[in-house]
Amino acid sequence: MAITFNADTTNGAVITSDTSGEIELQANGVTKAKVTANGLQDANGNSLRGGSFRNLLINGDFNVWQRGTSFSPTSALYGADRFQSLAGGGFNIDSTVTQSTDVPTGQGFKYSLDIAVDTVQTPTGSNNGGFGQFCETQNFYHLAWGTSNAKSLTLSFWVKSNKTGIYVCQFKQNESGTEYYILKEYTINTADTWEKKIITIDGNTSQSFDVSANGDGFRMMWWLASGPDDYATKDVWIAGSGYRATSNQVNLWDNAANYWRITGTQLEVGSGASDFEFLPYDVQLQRCQRYYYKIASLTSQGLGCVGFVYNSQVGVMTTTFPVQMRIRPTALETTGTASDYSIRYLATITVSNTPPSFYTASLQAADVQFYVPSTTLTAGQACMSRAATDSAYLAWSAEL
Amino acid sequence: MKWIKLKKQSEDDIQIYGRIDDDGLMRVTCVEAHPELQDWLAEGNTPEEAE
Repeated sequence: MAITFNADTTNGAVITSDTSGEIELQANGVTKAKVTANGLQDANGNSLRGGSFRNLLINGDFNVWQRGTSFSPTSALYGADRFQSLAGGGFNIDSTVTQSTDVPTGQGFKYSLDIAVDTVQTPTGSNNGGFGQFCETQNFYHLAWGTSNAKSLTLSFWVKSNKTGIYVCQFKQNESGTEYYILKEYTINTADTWEKKIITIDGNTSQSFDVSANGDGFRMMWWLASGPDDYATKDVWIAGSGYRATSNQVNLWDNAANYWRITGTQLEVGSGASDFEFLPYDVQLQRCQRYYYKIASLTSQGLGCVGFVYNSQVGVMTTTFPVQMRIRPTALETTGTASDYSIRYLATITVSNTPPSFYTASLQAADVQFYVPSTTLTAGQACMSRAATDSAYLAWSAEL
Repeated sequence: MKWIKLKKQSEDDIQIYGRIDDDGLMRVTCVEAHPELQDWLAEGNTPEEAE
């Protein structure tokens, strides 16, 4: 019980008390909110802490998939925006990662991320296989880590797997003066059933976030396999680097039929988990585009670049990024097939003979070179990029 | 997979590199600072000149 304030329809205000140190707000005898040592909560114990953008993870509900919706990683590889499959020590994470519509019922999620094992693998030595998000340092300054006021963090997520047992989450303060990590175990209790997990860690009072503002300052990692050389102690901050798990970590790759699904990942300040914060799609997309931006187009439609004819076979074209990138991109990604691309010059559209290539990039814009075989272009004239097929895309990465 | 040096349009241009995947497609082009190219160079590899 607790001190209760009950707005009763018969008796009016009814106040009862005990020595629990908690307060309950009731409407006609039904608890609506509680104040506990963990703060303001609803009747089920969920935190009622408000505030927009409280989720330190981006795309936590797996709504944004700019790169595609199916991937086949054997080593580290990005899939859903901001999230990547992780591999350490050369471990072969042979799996298929897909966008799944299997989600916990009634929670408001549209997608989960599914990792399906393709071949059996046994982690040895310093092998690791997992999944995670690397986070920009400057989004963590307000945690006041490295001081006596270091704030706690709470991770909540929904998970489902056919393989029950103990799994490990690694919270890693990365690229700091001294790197630190803390390991937390969670258990998948029932096979093939969505379960919500909530994990709270104390703030790290020993180390501040002192790497570059846009650097790789914090890593949230879910391990699915680990070799014995990387076993470490759980529940305490440890000064050290690398990928770590406990000796209890199951091996998801012990059967080619195993899968692991996750959605609703939220990392927030405080010692309680609030309801998942759903952001509008356009807001979430823009947050993702700071790290990866893809222009995809359809046949005969523009590809977002306009510029000038450099010589009879080359057009140099510029596109502006929708948000400032984290760093200047150093590469351009394309389909690799020249015939997916074309140049429009006056009334003529000429299909490329070489895929577009990187030229320059700033935080706000990029220049791309398009190529055509003909000698009909006239230097100095204007031109624009066109998709020659539905497959065409241009993409720039500024990931951590 | 290998990296090649793309032909410059003029001497003043920055050198651009292309990654030739095992299927022969060039899906990534970049400047020398690109981390994936740097890792490849650090393994002792040398990019070929584009034909």
